Amino acid sequence: MKLPSFRLRITLFSVGLAGIALVGLGAVSWWQIYHVTLSRLDAQIFNLLMYVKGPRKLDPTELYEEERWKQYADLLPNLLGANTEVEIALLVVDPEGNSIYQSPEIIKNRNLYHLLTNQLALTKLSPRISPNKILGQKFSPPPPPTLFYTESTTRGNWRIGTIRLRTIGIGMAVNQQVVRQEMATISSIFLISIPGVLLSIAVGAWLLSKRALRPIDRLSSTIQQVRATGLDRRILTDQIDREFVELIQVFNQMLERLERSFKQASRFSGDAAHELKTPLTILQGELERTLQQVPPGSEIQQRLGNLLDLISHLNNIVRKLLLFSLADAGQMSLYLVEVDVSELLCQMLEDVEMQAPHLTLRTNIPQELKIKGARDLLMQVLQSLFNNAVKYNLASGWIAIDAEQTNKKLQVMIANASKEIPVSDRNRLFDRFYRGDPACTRKVEGVGLGLSLAREIVRAHHGELTLTSAVSGETSFTIILPIIENA
Amino acid sequence: MNVLLVEDEAKIAEFVRAGLKERGFIVDYSGNGDEGYLLALDNEYDVIVLDIMVPGRDGLSILKQLRRQGSNTPVILLTARNELDDRLAGLNLGADDYIAKPFFVEELVARIHAVIRRSVGERQNFLLVGSLKLDRITREVTCDRQAIELTTREFNLLEYLMRSPGRVFTRTQILGSVWGYDFNPNTNVVDVCIQRIRKKIDPIDQEGWIESIRGVGYRFRQPDVRL
Repeated sequence: MKLPSFRLRITLFSVGLAGIALVGLGAVSWWQIYHVTLSRLDAQIFNLLMYVKGPRKLDPTELYEEERWKQYADLLPNLLGANTEVEIALLVVDPEGNSIYQSPEIIKNRNLYHLLTNQLALTKLSPRISPNKILGQKFSPPPPPTLFYTESTTRGNWRIGTIRLRTIGIGMAVNQQVVRQEMATISSIFLISIPGVLLSIAVGAWLLSKRALRPIDRLSSTIQQVRATGLDRRILTDQIDREFVELIQVFNQMLERLERSFKQASRFSGDAAHELKTPLTILQGELERTLQQVPPGSEIQQRLGNLLDLISHLNNIVRKLLLFSLADAGQMSLYLVEVDVSELLCQMLEDVEMQAPHLTLRTNIPQELKIKGARDLLMQVLQSLFNNAVKYNLASGWIAIDAEQTNKKLQVMIANASKEIPVSDRNRLFDRFYRGDPACTRKVEGVGLGLSLAREIVRAHHGELTLTSAVSGETSFTIILPIIENA
Repeated sequence: MNVLLVEDEAKIAEFVRAGLKERGFIVDYSGNGDEGYLLALDNEYDVIVLDIMVPGRDGLSILKQLRRQGSNTPVILLTARNELDDRLAGLNLGADDYIAKPFFVEELVARIHAVIRRSVGERQNFLLVGSLKLDRITREVTCDRQAIELTTREFNLLEYLMRSPGRVFTRTQILGSVWGYDFNPNTNVVDVCIQRIRKKIDPIDQEGWIESIRGVGYRFRQPDVRL
């Protein structure tokens, strides 16, 4: 399975990790800030409640109680230091529980009234303290018991604080909207800053991983240059991070081993060629000489002739095997000349006509189809295809040659009438030493290297040789060769 | 004509020398590259036949140094290795021709003649046997001054046989030289082609030029046998 880009994964991973950390951190701090804000609100309410006790003596006016409380209630938002839209409810009751003052919020919201009275009922009586003492003394006495808690009504959550003195009980409820506003500001700061930080982490990780992967890039570009002919390439370890030096050293060692074994393989083909061809040359030379010295047509000359034929057969096999070993080592170097494919094809057709006059020939060969290639090898390719077309033809069959040149390619199709090739055999046709069904090819001589070698040769020319017959009762091979300019 | 042969394998050297001497060449022989190089410097040869793999200096470096010394003596390389690489290197270094092992002495002789002809700049290039004349350059064959039309294969086959009148060639030998390495060895194409040539060149009243050797192959009749 192919994994998605490593860089992408690194980036996503760091962003994910940082994101989780930031969101967690944000949530915790949001929670903390919420509580701090709430306690601040509590402290403010407490202060206000404490302040309430004072006005009577500090400001002994002739106003009615209710009027005085109303003034006080109007002051409250300012005293709270928040904007005026904060809803504050104030309930003042006498010790018997009859209300002295109700702020408009309570009148509007009876729920609130019940909440406050219930809460007041639960509140303990404050110890008697004179306000002077609270304000003036160094050692403050314990503050009067005040209860704070949050209660929700249809109009939002209220923070409720109550105090009970000897003469009055006061309940105050502040809509938590004020807290919510503050928290909303913090949330929006988080919402902007967290994605911002994540984005910069993503960019950073992307750039960093690119930097980190640079030695890998260099490695892969070198590997791309390594083919059978470029095995002498090495990667320099001069300007490479210490972590990658080992990898590159291992890679270089691998290249070295590969180069050595390739050289060995190609030297093997050279050595084998020498070792096999020297005795073959001697045998052939001696036989040729003896053949001329014996009486023409004598039995011994016939035998010598047969031996000579066998040697040339052997020679042919050795030659092909050596070509294979070169092709496998990627060292089939080609001596490129201009080859007139049309002319080659016509010559082959002439041979076919001589070999098998009973076959019908259908040809479509334009003049002057030229290509840069190794002449002998290309001739060999065409010859083995023609050989097959003749060998595996039907009694009164046909051969069709179709050559054409398109923009950058030369295409030659060689088709012939034939028996059906079983599907299982079709794929094996190009295998080395493969010769089809032994029962039906016994009468046909050959080694079974022709097609396979032909394909190697065509590949060495950067072309392709394929079996293309689609119709039954017909076999056709197609060669496609690129036309290389100034190769 | 003087030929220098540098070849370390004694048995190959032996039959090559014998074959060349039979055809009237004077052969100097060395089995060592360094010795061969000195021989090549000291003497004037018409052609040098160099094996690529020899002890001492190898064939390609002898060739390189000879060319650097300004020697233009034609050089034919013998190679056992793959024909592709060596040919590439050899021809780039200024070899005139190359021949892959195993080879027939006939083939070597033909190449020697060809490079010598090229080096002296011969314009006319005939094979003449009796009244039959084959022009290699214009690729025309005449019999008693009468032009004969031959196809490419027919011409090549006739030339191959005419090069060495009196020598017997097996079918496979002919096939290999005229048709190439990979031709189906079991075809009768050689016989068919010979028949066609015979029809075109043989006079009606006389014995034919090309003689069949039963069970072996063919040979071109030598004129003195004919007369």
